[in-house]
Amino acid sequence: MMTLLSSDCYHLHEGLSDEVPSSEVHRPAPNEAAQEELFLQKLGARGWGRIHQFRNYYGPGWGEGQGRSLSPRAMAAFCQFLETATFPSGCLPSVFLTDRGGLELCWENADGKAVQVEFTSEGAEYYLEEGEIESMVSHAKMKALAEQLSAA
Amino acid sequence: MPVPPEENIVRAICSDKWDGERIAPSLFVGSDTSVSRLAIIPLEEHWNLFRSYVEKPPERILMLIGEINVGKLQEIGRKHKSAVELTVEPKPESRNLAHAEIPQNITRGLANKICPELKLHHPPS
Repeated sequence: MMTLLSSDCYHLHEGLSDEVPSSEVHRPAPNEAAQEELFLQKLGARGWGRIHQFRNYYGPGWGEGQGRSLSPRAMAAFCQFLETATFPSGCLPSVFLTDRGGLELCWENADGKAVQVEFTSEGAEYYLEEGEIESMVSHAKMKALAEQLSAA
Repeated sequence: MPVPPEENIVRAICSDKWDGERIAPSLFVGSDTSVSRLAIIPLEEHWNLFRSYVEKPPERILMLIGEINVGKLQEIGRKHKSAVELTVEPKPESRNLAHAEIPQNITRGLANKICPELKLHHPPS
């Protein structure tokens, strides 16, 4: 009978033995394919690629140490908004990740005036350069907000 | 002592806040906005300095540096419809001795007035 010594066992290199924090691993949602189609359709390849980066590579503490990873609630609100929103012909909105884990969508209306929405875990804050309007709505009003801003 | 209005300050603009077409106004939205003083460290040295601590994760790339005069920043704050007396407070850090902060809360509307006034510097080739 063979006896195994501790030196015979395989030991994982110390640097590889830490568990990967689950918050940094992106698990695809069941509707992710439909979401990606939506991003491509409304934001183009640039926007689609940026969202892919934000949700897969920007973990807690990104940037100078205080950045929060993308909020699932902010992402859900963003998708609800995009499903209804329309943008002026030839205009591809820009999408940015905010330090508090929100998504910021920026474009110009038909008159060239800035329209911006930041989707957060609590709701959506929007800004209209026309009239310098700043306000906030709850997640329940994404469709109405999209209709309002599409016509802005 | 606040940074005097004669000084110019810079802010790192990384790929999460610039997509090649627009700058995210959230670059300046909120309070305690980090900036850096050109009077302490010259612009050309800021490229490597910023890269040493802002490019996390590695996919986050320093794309531009935005520069603005402190006096101009204060003028924008005072002229905004909800006037704000903006200041820049020195907050040296071990990783950046030129670090400073704008402590006041900057709304999205005000940030939309500040961003177009930034002088944008591209990385040296």
